[in-house]
Amino acid sequence: MFYQKRWLIRYMVQRQMARSYQASYLGLLWAFLSPLLMVVLLTLIFSEIIGIKFKEVTGNPSLNFGLYLYCGLLPFLAYSQALSRGVNVIRRNSGLVQGVVFPLEVLPLTTMAASLVQNVLGVGALFFVLVLFGQELHLTALLLPLVLIPQLLFILGLCYLMAVAGTYVPDIRETLRAIIRGTFFITPILWPTGRVPEQYSFLVDYNPLAVLVNAYRNLILNGKLPDLESAFWFTLFAVALFVVGLVVFNRVKHNFADLL
Amino acid sequence: MPAVSIKGVSKRFRTFPSGQARLKEALTFGMKKYGRDFWALKDINLNVERGTTLGIIGRNGAGKSTLLSIVSGILQPSEGSVEVSGRLVALFALGAGFNSEFTGRENIMLNGLILGIERKEILERFDEIVEFADLGDFIDQPIKTYSSGMRSKLGFAVAVNVEPDVLILDETLAVGDAVYKETALQKMYDLRDAGTTILFVSHGMKTVEDFCTEAALIHEGRLMTTGETTEVISEYQALVSSLQTQRKRQRKAGDVQVPGDIALPDEEAVVLGEDTEGRVARLRSGTGEAKIRSVELLDESLSPIERKIEPDSTVTARVHLEYLEALEESEIIVTLRNKAGLEVLSISTTDDGSPLEAREKGEQVVVDFTFKVPLQHGIYILTADARVASEDLYLDRIEAPTRFRITRPSDRDAYRGVVHLPTEIKVHSPEGEKQGRSA
Repeated sequence: MFYQKRWLIRYMVQRQMARSYQASYLGLLWAFLSPLLMVVLLTLIFSEIIGIKFKEVTGNPSLNFGLYLYCGLLPFLAYSQALSRGVNVIRRNSGLVQGVVFPLEVLPLTTMAASLVQNVLGVGALFFVLVLFGQELHLTALLLPLVLIPQLLFILGLCYLMAVAGTYVPDIRETLRAIIRGTFFITPILWPTGRVPEQYSFLVDYNPLAVLVNAYRNLILNGKLPDLESAFWFTLFAVALFVVGLVVFNRVKHNFADLL
Repeated sequence: MPAVSIKGVSKRFRTFPSGQARLKEALTFGMKKYGRDFWALKDINLNVERGTTLGIIGRNGAGKSTLLSIVSGILQPSEGSVEVSGRLVALFALGAGFNSEFTGRENIMLNGLILGIERKEILERFDEIVEFADLGDFIDQPIKTYSSGMRSKLGFAVAVNVEPDVLILDETLAVGDAVYKETALQKMYDLRDAGTTILFVSHGMKTVEDFCTEAALIHEGRLMTTGETTEVISEYQALVSSLQTQRKRQRKAGDVQVPGDIALPDEEAVVLGEDTEGRVARLRSGTGEAKIRSVELLDESLSPIERKIEPDSTVTARVHLEYLEALEESEIIVTLRNKAGLEVLSISTTDDGSPLEAREKGEQVVVDFTFKVPLQHGIYILTADARVASEDLYLDRIEAPTRFRITRPSDRDAYRGVVHLPTEIKVHSPEGEKQGRSA
């Protein structure tokens, strides 16, 4: 069903990307430049100014905390960006909802795809900096696409559900902002997994974002395979979420035009 | 099989007094009701045959756009169903999804895909579209440099050049400069002649009359009439003018109405042309000291007219008035309006020399107003009022007017003017004078 509309999706993603960077002279180049700036900034701050060495958290002295932080931030940014746009996607495109006959299920997909493109470019920026700082590149990084697929389904499923919720109840938008901020702190991005007290270990064990963050770090920075059991459960969860999200969305999408 | 078949379509909108009420209802999953239902459409049945150009007319908020949204699949009907055979393109807003950063060419593709057209097909027709849009070098510029007219041209070019089977237009013809309008209209005629079914909402009666083969009148969510364009348009204009009259009158007589004697003005009854008795019972206001029992329209031999009469014939409006109270003075005014609401004739018993004088309670009078109708063909509306002139007081008036149609003259072309005044024509030429006389 999405294959037929691949061209539409492609143009819609382009349109979305062009919108994000419109009226800047470098345009789409910013999709690569802004994560690059961020990773450089984080690296400099944490290695040079604050001076936290990576050994203090995992014992690999050659890595600095900025890279560690950025690597964990990548899947989280994809999630938060897609969601905060996804919740509003129907209302923002009211012209398409009310003006033409449009396959609405494409809209959350577009949001997700745009955030995916940024995610991939962010990974590119990370590699760029890793090479720049003379870090070792691990072959396991080639397995990253295998993580991206369940990540994509997970985010897409959430996008569908949020798009429905945000269309019915616009107030969800505000709530969602708080939720996204909350998930940032309960996910091991700023803090390492090992430091969680026993009674809060469920924050890591049952947190799909934690699975993603750890998988990214293991594959890119540590050259290790992610925990296969949690990866399996995550994949299963992501597929289920996607199916539920799509079914719910398709069931209620006919009402959207009435609600705007 | 009809191109579009609308079966028993109704559309209900829920309106809420506030956002909180809407949220409350959403949170209880509709178990508790906080909103109100509003029926935008009620039981619409309509078949549109292939190749028909249907103009949909009606007042603002009558439900025209809602109906087209439902036909195009944007809105779901609350009841009933719609079947469309073939490819449908709906143009409610031209250039849906245009991105101002993209060039004209890129937007053609984007817009085409959004309208649900295959990429291959857009590529095949690309040159036609570019040519039709007629934007010159601008086609390779980002459309943020376009004027709004140019954007509309581009949007229109995409939509009409992909040969839809069913095209839905919502007043979008009114874009662009005069030259472009002409091209656009020509394209519409081409599409029509090529067998495209077109559903067209407009307030421009001229456009509908010229362009559409059929018309449908929607009023307050109901389908009033369908059929031949000019008929439906006259119906609509009659409706509008009677509504105007009604509003004007209500303003005038607003505070002299007797409660309990006032039926709510019912616009439908006006349009449906129910029998006089029914109308009299339902639609009246005034002090009620005298009542108009009936208004009849009679021809030269004083037999009732069945809706149609010849121009130039003599018509008698017979008004029965009954006095429920004794009155020192009173008058009857008979007014004839054309479909545009123009007062063609207004005769008063007092002003025109036959005052009704003092009358006892229970007395009845019958007044005949006989006049000639040298008028243009079309629908005419006759209303009767009973009033007290010196106090500017309405005793009774009939809101639902008596309607009739004046046909085209059988022996000559239609009259050009509103009234065909008796005119003498003298042709002066060197050889001598010839005399002619008309009417």
